[in-house]
Amino acid sequence: MPVVAIAGRDVHVQDLGRGAPVAMVHGLVIGSLASWFFTAAPVLAREHRVRMYDLRGHGKSAPAATGYDTRTLAGDLDAVTAELAGPFDVVGHSWGALVALRFAMLHPERVRRLAIVEAPLPPSRAFEMAAFVAADDQLPQRLLDALPASLRDAVAGGSRQAQRLLASVDQLVHHSSLLADVRAEPDPPDDALAAIGAPTLLAYGTRSACAPAGARLAAAIPGARLQMFDGGHYLHLDAKDALAGAIAEHLRG
Amino acid sequence: MTTAPQTQLDRDAILATVGRLVVEIAGDEILLASGPITLATSFNGDLELESIEFVALAEKLQEHYGTAVDFVGWISSKELDAIIALTVGELVEFIATCRS
Repeated sequence: MPVVAIAGRDVHVQDLGRGAPVAMVHGLVIGSLASWFFTAAPVLAREHRVRMYDLRGHGKSAPAATGYDTRTLAGDLDAVTAELAGPFDVVGHSWGALVALRFAMLHPERVRRLAIVEAPLPPSRAFEMAAFVAADDQLPQRLLDALPASLRDAVAGGSRQAQRLLASVDQLVHHSSLLADVRAEPDPPDDALAAIGAPTLLAYGTRSACAPAGARLAAAIPGARLQMFDGGHYLHLDAKDALAGAIAEHLRG
Repeated sequence: MTTAPQTQLDRDAILATVGRLVVEIAGDEILLASGPITLATSFNGDLELESIEFVALAEKLQEHYGTAVDFVGWISSKELDAIIALTVGELVEFIATCRS
């Protein structure tokens, strides 16, 4: 398993394809680099070197008690892409899309084009918008309710997948600062969004509670293009082919 | 001598390899619930591999068979329902076809 060490902690990375580099960032809690690996990444890999990684505390990356705010995670993205030559494209889903936006604000010289999929705004309400949580004590059930149907069935069956998913969720929710970091995340100011120079695609689902964030970002980021897809928050699954095609076209310029 | 027996040997070898790689990734205990891995075993329903373990399987298949077997490209061309229902037999057939 390929890893990059960031501050002594292993981060699991996977590359697909060859060409101009693209970094892809997944969402929190139930996401991993597999979210992109079997969906949009192979399509982009026909023309690009696609670099994916598991966020800290997710997938096969090392556990982390803290650092789920977008500034720290954008630092991880910076480190995990250090070897990529020149500016590259960044694609993110959900919290990973907020990390992509933050990265573009912090390192504008490193970003060529952006594809923002279902970034929730304000970030502090991310879990409510993803239909995840209204209150801590209800977290497990609400989180399960919000899962894609395939995972929900597995969880309901009390299966191996369910046990492993719940163990991972328990670790992140009860033994890390993830929820507190999400709730403390500041809204990106309009003037910072207005300074984003990278051509930006905003992809949102017609049935997603995050959709209003797409309209706000479209108004704030110069030249950004908002494209709606038939689906909910998990657009990389709900609109797999359409989303992959739209991102590939956007990165082609 | 026809090619059929040779093809069957090839598929048997591929099945054994896939089974070995799955155990390397998920451990012996994965077979406790599913029983021995056969062509009819499904990755999701029977083995219950996690998606991140499926990434590891892709990596190991690439190491073992090289780029001639484009597992990731093959998977990504499938509808989600078909990926969820994928069996070991379908993967064995795909690998055999790539190698013939």
